[in-house]
Amino acid sequence: MADTPIIEVKHITKRFKGLTAVKDVSFSIREGGITGMIGPNGAGKSTTFNMICGYYPPTEGQIFFRGKDITNKKAYEYTKMKIARTFQIMKPLKNLSVLENVAASTYFGHDPARNERDAKERALELLEFTGLYDKRHVLAKDMGTPDQKRLEMARALGTKPELLFLDENMAGLNPAETEEAIRLIRRINESGVTIFLIEHIMQAVVSLCEEVIVLHHGEKIAEGTPSVVMNDPNVMEVYLGKKEGSHA
Amino acid sequence: MDEKKKAVRAYHRNVGIVIGLILLVFLIIPVFVKSPYILNIFVLVFYISTLSMAWNLLGGMTGQNSLGHAAYMGLGAYASCLLITNTGANPWVAAIFGMIVVGLVAGVIFYPCFILRGPYFTLVSIAFGEALRQFIINSSFFGRASGIGLPFGKDSWLDFRFGSKVPYYYVGLVMVILIYLLMKKIERSRMGYALRTIREDEDAAAAMGINPTRYKIMAVVVSAMVAALVGFYYACYIRYIDPELMIQAKSTESVLPAVVGGAAYVEGPLVGGLLMIPLSEFLRAKYSAMLPGINMLLYAIVLLIVIRFRPSGILGWYMHSRVKTFIDTKILRKPSVEILEEVEFSVSHGRKEA
Repeated sequence: MADTPIIEVKHITKRFKGLTAVKDVSFSIREGGITGMIGPNGAGKSTTFNMICGYYPPTEGQIFFRGKDITNKKAYEYTKMKIARTFQIMKPLKNLSVLENVAASTYFGHDPARNERDAKERALELLEFTGLYDKRHVLAKDMGTPDQKRLEMARALGTKPELLFLDENMAGLNPAETEEAIRLIRRINESGVTIFLIEHIMQAVVSLCEEVIVLHHGEKIAEGTPSVVMNDPNVMEVYLGKKEGSHA
Repeated sequence: MDEKKKAVRAYHRNVGIVIGLILLVFLIIPVFVKSPYILNIFVLVFYISTLSMAWNLLGGMTGQNSLGHAAYMGLGAYASCLLITNTGANPWVAAIFGMIVVGLVAGVIFYPCFILRGPYFTLVSIAFGEALRQFIINSSFFGRASGIGLPFGKDSWLDFRFGSKVPYYYVGLVMVILIYLLMKKIERSRMGYALRTIREDEDAAAAMGINPTRYKIMAVVVSAMVAALVGFYYACYIRYIDPELMIQAKSTESVLPAVVGGAAYVEGPLVGGLLMIPLSEFLRAKYSAMLPGINMLLYAIVLLIVIRFRPSGILGWYMHSRVKTFIDTKILRKPSVEILEEVEFSVSHGRKEA
C-alpha cells in the first residue's frame, strides 16, 4: 500500500450561482481500498463526485491524484490517468450491442486495444467477468436496470482503470440484485482496483467500505470506519432525527 | 474445433464468391450496355452514393445531421477547377488540392461550431452552404453565376477527359469501392467506435476518454474531403460547374440514399443509391411528359412510404428479416454466432461466473 492516498481532495467548494452545493470538503481515498460516501438527498454527494470526475471543476479547492494536481482536468482526460467512472443515471450506448458497448471503451484509456479483434476479445473477457456474457448480442437499450448497471461497470473496466468511481450503482436494485452487485464490486476491488462509491443503500456501504465519508448540507459531518460513522451522534441525527431531550 | 474452422472458412469463401459475382456484374455492364443514357444513370449512382457515404459518416455514424454537403462538394469542384484553369495543373493533382482545401475549410469553420449540439449544428451547416454559394455568385474570381468550364480536347487519362462515358463509369466504380473500404475501415477502428459512442451519448463518451470535439472535427474533415473528391469527379464528368451545384436541394439529395438505405450501416448509402437514383430517373423518363412535376410527386410518395414503414431504412429491415435468415443459412451457409466467435476470438467461454 502506498503512503500517499490515491485521491486527495483539499477544501473543495462548489457554488451554482447563489447556491453553495458543497462547502469546504476535504478527504482522501486510500489506494487499494473501497471508500464510500453517503448522505441524505441533496447533501452534495453527486456534486462532489462530479467534481472529482472532472465533469465540472470546483469553484475553490484542489484535487490531487497520486500527489498530482488534477483539479482542472477535463472528463475525457481521466481514463488516460487510469481513472474510470459510472453514471447514476445509466448512459448505455443504446443502439449498440452489449459487446460493442464494452469494445468501444477498450479502445481508450492508458492501454487501448490495437484493433477491433483485440477490442472484442478484451470486451468478451470483461463480459465473462461481469456475468453479461450471455447477453453480449442484446442491444443495450433492451436490457433491464440491473444489467444496464452492470454494463456501466463493464464499460468502465474496459479502460483498465486503477481507480473506479461508482455513482449509486445499486440504486433501483432489489435485495438479491444488490447482493450480486456487492459481490461483483468486491471482486473488482480484489483484482487490484481502488473503488470510491456513492451509495444510498446502507447495507451495501456497511458491508463493502473500509472508510466512509458522510455529507450533509454540502459539508462533511463524519468520516471513519462504517461502525464509527454509524454510531456518530451527528450521523444518527441526520438519518434518524434528533434524540428527544438532547436539545434544550 | 477443426470442423468448426472448416465451416467458418467455407462461409467466408461463400461471402467472397457473392461479393466477387456482384463486382463482376458491375465490371461487365459497360461491355453489354451501350446506351449513354443508362451509363449516365450508373455514373449518377456512383457519385451520389459516394457523396451519401460521406454524409453518412457524419449523419449516420456520428449523429451530426449535416445539410451542407453540396457545399463541400461544390467547393471541392471549384477548388480543383480553378487550379486547373488558372495554373494548368494536372487534374489528379487538382483533386488532391481540392480535398485538402475543403478539409481545411471544414475543419476551421466547424471547430467553433461543435460547442453546438444537435439541431444547431444542422442549422450552421445550412447557413455555411448558402453563405458559400452567395459568396461564389458574387466573386469574379469564382466566375460569378456563369460558372467555370473545363477545357475540352482529346481523350486522355492524364487529363481525366473522355468523350465516352465508359471511362467515367469505371473511375466512378473504383471511387465507390475505395470510399466504401475507407468507411468500413473507419467503422471498425478506434475512430468509428468513438463516433458511434458520441452519437449515443456524449457524456458517456467523455467518461471513456473520448474527446468529443476532436473526433467530431475528424469526422467533418474526412466527410468533407470525400465530398470534395465527388465534386472533382462531377466537374471532370460534366466539364462545367456553376453555383447551382451548391443549392440546398443538392444537399438533401446526398442525405436520401443513406436514410432510405439505412443510415446505421456503412452499406446503407449504396443500397439506397442503387434503388432511389434509377427510380428517380425512371419516373422522370416515364411520367414527366404526362404532367410536369408528377415524377417528383411519385418520388416523394415512395420516400414517404419507406420512411413511414421502415424508419431504419431498407437495411434496417433486411437485417432482421426472414430474407436474411434464408440467405445466410441456405446460400452462404453461415455458422452460428457462437461458432464464428469461437473461431475468431481466442477467448474461451468456460470460466463463467455463477
